[in-house]
Amino acid sequence: MKTAAQFSVSYHQFLNAKGALAEPPPGLDLPALVPVYRTMAFTRAFDARAVALQRTGQLRTFPSSLGEEAATVGLASVMRPDDVLLPTYRETGAFLWRGVTPVEIFLYWAGDERGSAIAGPRGDFPISVPIASHCGHATGVAAAFQYRKEARVAVCVLGDGATSKGDFYEAVNLAGVWRLPAVFVVINNRWAISVPAARQTACATFAQKAIAGGVPGVQADGNDAVAVRHVVGQALERARSGEGPTVVELLSYRLTDHTTADDARRYRSADEVSAAWAEEPLVRLRALLAREGLWTKADEEALIADNQARLEAAVADYLATPPQPLTSMVDYLYAELPAELVAQRAELAAREGGHHG
Amino acid sequence: MKTFTLPDLGEGLAEAEIVAWQVGEGDKVVLDQPLLSVETAKAIVDVPAPFAGKVVKLYARVGDIVPLGGALVDIDDGAPDDTGTVVGDSHVAATPAKDKPSANVAPAGKPAPVAVRAAPAVRALASRLGVELATLAGSGPDGAITSADVEAAARHGAPAAPEAQALRGPRRAMAQNMAISHAEVVPVLLVDDADIHAWPKGEDATWRLMRAMVAACRAVPALNAWFDGKALARRVFEHVDIGIALDTEEALFVPVIRHAERLDRARCRAELNALKDRVRARSLAPAQLKGHTITLSNFGMFAGRYASPVVMPPTVAIVGAGRARLEPVAVGDAIGLHRRLPISITFDHRACTGAEAARFLAALLADLELAE
Repeated sequence: MKTAAQFSVSYHQFLNAKGALAEPPPGLDLPALVPVYRTMAFTRAFDARAVALQRTGQLRTFPSSLGEEAATVGLASVMRPDDVLLPTYRETGAFLWRGVTPVEIFLYWAGDERGSAIAGPRGDFPISVPIASHCGHATGVAAAFQYRKEARVAVCVLGDGATSKGDFYEAVNLAGVWRLPAVFVVINNRWAISVPAARQTACATFAQKAIAGGVPGVQADGNDAVAVRHVVGQALERARSGEGPTVVELLSYRLTDHTTADDARRYRSADEVSAAWAEEPLVRLRALLAREGLWTKADEEALIADNQARLEAAVADYLATPPQPLTSMVDYLYAELPAELVAQRAELAAREGGHHG
Repeated sequence: MKTFTLPDLGEGLAEAEIVAWQVGEGDKVVLDQPLLSVETAKAIVDVPAPFAGKVVKLYARVGDIVPLGGALVDIDDGAPDDTGTVVGDSHVAATPAKDKPSANVAPAGKPAPVAVRAAPAVRALASRLGVELATLAGSGPDGAITSADVEAAARHGAPAAPEAQALRGPRRAMAQNMAISHAEVVPVLLVDDADIHAWPKGEDATWRLMRAMVAACRAVPALNAWFDGKALARRVFEHVDIGIALDTEEALFVPVIRHAERLDRARCRAELNALKDRVRARSLAPAQLKGHTITLSNFGMFAGRYASPVVMPPTVAIVGAGRARLEPVAVGDAIGLHRRLPISITFDHRACTGAEAARFLAALLADLELAE
């Protein structure tokens, strides 16, 4: 007997839960972490405000990303503006970093098509709610970049549960065999609605699912913004330089309900959640920045006030947005409307004119 | 002053029960301060204040069930009176296509409706109650006629009746479950008597009934099954998990004895007693009320000879035992007095044949008639 092949999955953590930075990655740019922290804090405030809006009937179902801010903001912070993000629904931090406005995000979660017609970054894909359905889109986008010889990367973000879908394996397989410039970021928040990671897979890691596609898989502490930026940054570099795709697993924890239509207390213990709070990402990053002299108490107070003011203004703008026209139903799917939809669109426009006229 | 109404806190929920108020009338509240907790079909949810101000009026008490759009609280936010302001409709709800029936908030200042505005369910209700919709003034959004309007009209002129009380908790669940059973199941009833004259004095009737059910399930597994009427598929079980109908003051509970086929008399009795204690203490875990493969209703403990017990989907059969009594029976050529136990079995004829049910009944009686 001889070994036909061998694989391993590396794990990366630099900034531990106590805020200690053990052997930083080479070339660590500490000041670059300040805007990362600022966006993480804003994301958390945004999530809280969105949940309150939903609870008072002013927003539809909303998935908070509480506890996953280092993963979402961190991964976006190492992308280039012309890379393409293919998100699922819990990446508010990544949207905010990439320039989607809070008003657009509110509109999306109010069922308004204009929430997906973002002013920028126009190349990013809209939120894909059907699980793992966007993995194949990412492969397609990456294939387009390769075909056009553009040094751009498709970044597909998915959850732990999505790795059980065939779509994910198909996308990773094709990306692997074509050496496509794609990065699949699995944010493992331990719970696929009510299914814990241990009941999701027999694998020791989600990163090792890459191996089936001949693709490297790496794992990092997803609550450590430094590690997230390091591993996603390396994966982006590999992809950009033609070395092919990577699957990155970011270990985090969903500190809140799956969505506002869920009650996580029904399927997981309070002890587990309070233990996870000790690992949350904001406190440790703030501790590091404070120790390095990059963040003060006054900075924190100013940030809180600034975030509240920004949010208040965004909520006011959102609530003052007139309802979307009926034609929104057909306006955003096609570059050029098929003939039968042209007729239907005219009918919708006429009906609306009549109603308001 | 603004009225805050119950929003849809889940996805398409119709109502919520008030669990607790965190504020009282006269309290000052700030934006996002917790106002109250409500329980929906999906979750217990804390509802925050949608704006700052002074709480003027609470519309619902703890335990009340508030329909979607029903008023929760008046908050004086210091702004000039605007009776048209109702917070609680989401951004998209402002579109003309969306008309939620609102049970107890009548928007003021709306023009009179030009045509009858009523949801299909309200129209159906009106037709059932013989109410002419065109004669009603709707109290819903944009003058829409609500179920409450129709019911009020139907009551008009009828003799005064006590005010309707919304069912809650287990009694509400019972009402819903019975309606489901009635809508889905094709029930057929079989009755007979077991001659239990040979039983020793003080025999544990519930244990004997459970043992006999296990024997009958062994003989005819088709009645120990779950049926899926949509898929037209059934699952026949080897093990026998018996749901025991237990009465309480409030409602009926059906806790489950697992693997009845493995229990001896003593363990069966111990588990039954433990379940009864837990039902009384209301400390049953939801899992203990689910997943039985067949049901036993020992209603004869109170009164009654035969009944038509209700089969609850997905199960396909229920055994009911009436009150045992001494009866004259033919013993050879003579007439003797024997104790007899009336048995009623309802089965779902979609899932079982009549012959299967009859063989099940025969096996049940045979085991019950054993001396021990």
